[in-house]
This record gives sequence, C-alpha cells and structure tokens, in this order.
Amino acid sequence: MTTGVVITGVGAVTARFTGGAAAVSAFLAEPSPVHGAIADAQLTSLLGDGDARRLSRVCQFAVAAGRLALDDARFSADDEVGLVLGTEFGDLRSTVEFADGYLTSGPSGLSALIFPNTVMNTMAAATTIATGARALSLTLNAPTVAGELAIARGAAAIASGRARAVLAGGVDQIDPFLGSMLTDLGAGEERRGEGAVVLVLERASSARERGARVLGEILGAASGALAVRPHGVGRSTRSSVVAGALAAARMETGDLGAVYTSTNGDRHRDEWERRLLDAALGDGHHPRSALRELLGAHAGAGALGVVAAASAARVSGRPSLVHGVGRGGSEVALIIGR
Amino acid sequence: MRRVVVTGLGVVSPFGLGAKAYWEGVRSGTCAIRPVTLIETEGFRCRIAAEVPDPVPGSLRRSRADRFALAAAREAIDDAGLDATERRRTALVVGAVGGGMLEAEAWYWQAKRSGVPLRATPELRSILPYSHADVVGSRLGLGGPRETLVTACSSGAVSLAVAADLVADGVAPVAVAGGTDALTRICFMGFNALRLLDPEPCRPFDAARRGMSIGEGAGFVVLEDAAHAGARGARIYAELAGSGMTTDAFHVTSPQPDGEGMARAMVAALARGRVRPKAVGYVNAHGTATLQNDRIEARALRSVFGAAGVLVSSTKSMIGHTMAAAGSLEAIATILALVHETVPPTANLATTDAEVAFDCVPGVAREASVECAISNSFGFGGQNVTLLFRRP
Amino acid sequence: MEPKEVLDELRTIFVTRLRFEPHRVSDVTLDTPLPKGVDGSVGLDSLDFIELSLAIEDRFGLVMDDAQDLAPHFTSFRTLCAFIAERATRT
Repeated sequence: MTTGVVITGVGAVTARFTGGAAAVSAFLAEPSPVHGAIADAQLTSLLGDGDARRLSRVCQFAVAAGRLALDDARFSADDEVGLVLGTEFGDLRSTVEFADGYLTSGPSGLSALIFPNTVMNTMAAATTIATGARALSLTLNAPTVAGELAIARGAAAIASGRARAVLAGGVDQIDPFLGSMLTDLGAGEERRGEGAVVLVLERASSARERGARVLGEILGAASGALAVRPHGVGRSTRSSVVAGALAAARMETGDLGAVYTSTNGDRHRDEWERRLLDAALGDGHHPRSALRELLGAHAGAGALGVVAAASAARVSGRPSLVHGVGRGGSEVALIIGR
Repeated sequence: MRRVVVTGLGVVSPFGLGAKAYWEGVRSGTCAIRPVTLIETEGFRCRIAAEVPDPVPGSLRRSRADRFALAAAREAIDDAGLDATERRRTALVVGAVGGGMLEAEAWYWQAKRSGVPLRATPELRSILPYSHADVVGSRLGLGGPRETLVTACSSGAVSLAVAADLVADGVAPVAVAGGTDALTRICFMGFNALRLLDPEPCRPFDAARRGMSIGEGAGFVVLEDAAHAGARGARIYAELAGSGMTTDAFHVTSPQPDGEGMARAMVAALARGRVRPKAVGYVNAHGTATLQNDRIEARALRSVFGAAGVLVSSTKSMIGHTMAAAGSLEAIATILALVHETVPPTANLATTDAEVAFDCVPGVAREASVECAISNSFGFGGQNVTLLFRRP
Repeated sequence: MEPKEVLDELRTIFVTRLRFEPHRVSDVTLDTPLPKGVDGSVGLDSLDFIELSLAIEDRFGLVMDDAQDLAPHFTSFRTLCAFIAERATRT
C-alpha cells in the first residue's frame, strides 16, 4: 500500500546495456535477448580503480547501478535517502571463496577482506558507502520476486516517512554453483541472467519541488504468501494480492493496460503464475510481457519490469500491473502509473 | 498510523527452549558462553561460543536455524493465541544472516576433503536466508506479506521494525517477526580472522574487554494492531512505540567513530514514538564488547541521553552475539524488563571503562520500574536499528 | 632476508591477498606510504591492514602481538620491510 511515490531515475548494469533511463528506453524500444555474463571491462569503466579493488563482483554491479541511478535522477544521497536491494542469491561466490581459503590452507588461508561478503547485506553496504545513502538500508531475499518486493518496500518506507527517497532495486550474479542448486530445488529450467537495476523512488512532493523528470508513479502495491511448501509450486489460484494492489491504487482490473509477469523458464512456476493472473484479471485482455525472457532471471530483471511498466503506462495512458510469484509462495503486485 | 503492541513471545536461546528459560537465565546474570561443540575450532584463538543446548526440537531434515525459527515462532503464535483464520492474514518478517549454512558447510567440507565431485544435495535446499520464512510461513499457515531481511547483526531488530510498519500502516492486523541464526563455521572463522573475538567470555563495557563472543538462537514476537488485540482480549506485553533505522555509509566493518549513525537511529525511534529521552529508563545495548563498538555506542548514548541518564546493559554478555537473532532476542529481554520491572545485568563486568558514562548494571539484575526502554542493534556495514518499547 | 626481497614478496601479497592490480604494485617503492589519506599512498584501510597482517604472518612465519602498537611499522613499505626482515622465521 503506497501513495505519493514516483520514480525519478534508473540505473542498469546488464551484459547488453548499461546506463540510465535512456539506455533502458533504447533496450525496451528494440528488445533482444541478453545472454551470459557481464564483462569485466564493462565494470572497470564504471568504477574507479581504487573502488573496484575492494568490491566483489556482485557488489560492483550494485554500486555501479546505484551511482548510475542517482546520476540519472540528478540527485544525491544523504540522511534522507535510503536503500532497499533485493537479491535471490547474494554473494555466494565470495562465501565459496572464503571457505576454500580455509579448506586449502587452514586458518592462515582465511581472508579478512572476503569475510564481509559472506553476509548477504554486502551489496547494500557497499552501495550505501559509495553513494552516501544514510536513511534506512535493507537487503531483501526471496526467490524470484526479490526485486519487485524491494521496490514495494522502498515505496512504503517513503510513504511512512522514513525517507524522502530510496534507491530500490535488485542485483544478482550468475554462479556455476547455482545450476545444481536450482535443479535440486526443482527449478532447474529457470534461465538465469545477471545484473543490477536500481530505481530512484522519491516522495512526489520532493520530485515536484526540484523539478525532477518523473518516469512513473507507484500507485499501489500488495504482497502475500500463498499456501505451498517451501520451493513448491501451488495449484490453488486463490489470492487477494492483485486485488489488494488495485484497491491500494483505487483502481479496477478494467483500468489496467499492460501486465508484466515474472515468467522465467521454470515451466511449472510459469504455469502457476499464468493461472493466478487469469483468475485475478478475469476476461479482460491485457497484453503480458516478461522481461526475464530476455534478460534471464535475476532480481535486477524484476526491478526493470517496474521501469518497463512505467514506460508502457506513459504510452498507453493506462496503469500497468507488475506481478511476481516465487516458488514457496511469495507473491507481489505493483500498480505503476505514468 | 495504528498503535502496535506485542502479544506473543517465543525463544530458543543458549539457556534452552522457551521465553521463560530465557528470562530466568538473563535475569540471573548467568553466562552461557562455553567451549564449542558443533564445529571444529583447532587453530583458532577463540574456541568458545553460546550454543543452544540439546535437545533442539524439530526434524533433522530441516536446518538447525530453521528448527530454531519454527520452535520460537510457534511458541510466540501459541502465546498470542492466534487461530488459523487469523494466521491466514498474518504477515511474517524474518531477520536472517547464516541461513542453512551450517549444514551446507558440513556437506561442502566433506565433499572437498574426500575429493568426491560436488553434486546437488538436499542440504542446499535450506541454505538461503529466505528458507526460514518459507518454512515457518508454510508450516504455521501464515498468509500475509512475507519478507526476509538481511542487515547483518541488526537483522533481528530490523524484522521487528519493518513488521511494526506493516501493522502501523494497516497492511496487516498482525505480524510475526524475529530473527534466527545457528552457529556456522564461516561466521566463527571469519570473526576469528578479523581478530574480533575474545578467547574468554566477552566483557561488554569493561575496561579490559577484548572482543565478542558468538552465540546462536531465535527470538520471535507477535506484533498486533492495539485495537485488534484489545478486541480479542489478547494479553499485551508492551507497546512497540517506535523504531529508527539508519545507515552509517562509512565502512564495511568499522562503525563511524563519532557514533552519529547510532545516535540518529535512537533519536528517530524516540521521535516516531513521541517519547523524550528522559522517559527512557533502560537501554539494552548492542554491547558486543569490541573495543570500538562499546566506546562508540557509549558516546552515542551520551549524546542522546546525557551522561548517567539511563541504565544500560548488554545481553550479549550472557548469550553472546547471536547474529540475526540478536536484535529480536534482545528486544524480548527489553520487553520482559518492562514487564517484570527488572533490568537484566551485564555479566562479566568487573570495572566499567572510564569512557562509558553509564551504570551498566554489573553482575546483578536491578529492580527498576521503567516507563520506556530501547534496544539497540548496530550491524556490520553500519546498519543501525533502535526499537522503542513502552509499558502498555 | 633483505628488505628489497621482502618488498618483492609484499608486491605479490598485495596482488593475491589485497587485490591490487599488478601494474599498481609494480610502481611502488620503499618510500611509498601505506595508510589511506596520506599523499601518494596505496590507500590501505583498517580491514586491509588486518588482511595484510594475516598474510605476513603466514608467509614469513612471524606472529604479530595484538597487545603492541604495531602502527609505526605499517607507515610505509620501508618500515614494514624492515619490521619483517628483522623477525622473519620463514624465508
């Protein structure tokens, strides 16, 4: 449930494109599949040499995207600016590296530099240090919907007066380890990607006062948990999440334009989401898009969906729905206006 | 904004199972920090921790941290008397750090040492932090908003702050919130490598303190809209009157030397709760016993409350630093201090550091009828959270 | 061990443990300061110094006494190399 929160900037780091709103628009105008890993050279051009040294790879994604977002919004962070980052897998690579140091060389093989990266808030810590965001900072972990949930949480933080603006988005990196993990979780068909997408969410009055360019508005949001076992896919389509988001936005299904889903290649999960949306939206024809089909599944792709939704709302004049559901039942819906 | 009250408590701690055992241990000033049994510790300077004693309830198919969370959340929900219908609307916010890493480590260690190629395995199912929320939520039928938050050492506290916002904003009438962590090799070895651990049980605020002790456990609370709680005749422990969440944005492991971020979190909690510093009688400190934290926290406390303006104690002196569980376990100690009109002591405190301008309640609990109390949690990476509780 | 030999070992440690780019450490001399905030330094902070200490203990077989104030030895490569050369038990 949110009101009075607008999107005034975006920063994206992906294997295909990197930049602010213009780079994102160019991608959305001519979308094409984004495969594989982000090249090291791409990252070093975004970060100073000194900065990059101490940042693990996934932290570099987040810091770069955070800075790009603030530049794009022509905004700087301070005591009144917070950060909410969603991530599905965090910095597992560093955890493995840290453990390997010990397993290879005993206690003397432990790295003090790597250790902080073994806690999932490391990307958020790095990004707040790099940008100076000193209001609340949160890292949110969920399967599939982490980016969307982070944006909903960030908007709620602004609405309840905890911050004037929040850098909100998602970040994940591809990991060889993940392949077998996902298979074991029953999600082996999911096509993973990597990157970071961070939005600048801002109190509408603040954006107006400084004459900011507004990309869109968070009209309403809702989330809930469907009854299903951990990592499971459900059968029931009984859910009040989409209805809750619409109610928060004071809208009805008939008002909606485009719908963005969290389709990611995991067939059973994708099918479940399709049925959930059919039940929630009824007979109305709402074109459905899924950015993960192009970008691969990662928390940043979820956040980018919100930007795409805002763009679609600008074009059609009708608000968009962004929807996501993860194995284990976490469900989220956001209504995005222009 | 709705008033938020605490209507249920659930604990798994180094003192055993249940909120009662926890309060008895904490109130008595007993130190539960002992030689480690769960993991190998040869070659490390510090070889002690506060482990949850056997038996740990729950199926061995689940990770240790999941089992802690399930037991504590279940106790809190039963304590609050939430039925199945209520639970379907109940939100769940979990603070996590290590997730199921203990079990994943055991598998990885074994695989690497035996040279057998790594294959997918059930131990990895629960490795990620969100596992606790999905296990607790599905097992206990919680259908409201569900979030897992990772803010290092303040995860347990931040879960309560965010859950309280859900209730205050009218998103859910009831929310279960708390943190859980089991001892892990990575955490234990990492803090050893950073030289932040005391080889002896930690001594918060003591002039001779030398570092932290690590602990494990889970603490969960039920937070509820005050009107909703009143309507169903629920027992009210305390009001969660406000919270502050700030970020140092300074350094990945060192706190900001002037304690400004910590002070801002406390001031924000007081402001949101419309409480003046004078009304606060007790501070349950982050109090990790590192040279830096205690000195900086004391400085921040002084800037907010004035010297000697409030009683201060550290529960970590008894249960160690329970990582993601710390913020919620210590919030529970704070709530019970209000309920029982007794401030728990700081154990192992012989001589208070001269730079700490407060009565840190050495060794023995202090009877004190306190109107408001705060609990501080300051996580790695400068993630500061203060929770403000008030007598109902 | 001669200080210059120690310097070469430290260059390796700076790359493998402190993640410096090789070109950055090939430029350093005995006079290059170590701590952040000093002109021309390699910019090490508290966490870097912990990592460096661990690596030095491991490579050179010496033990750093936490109780002592070792900061003066870490002001430049020269002071650090001298400190290590004097105490190394493993060359």
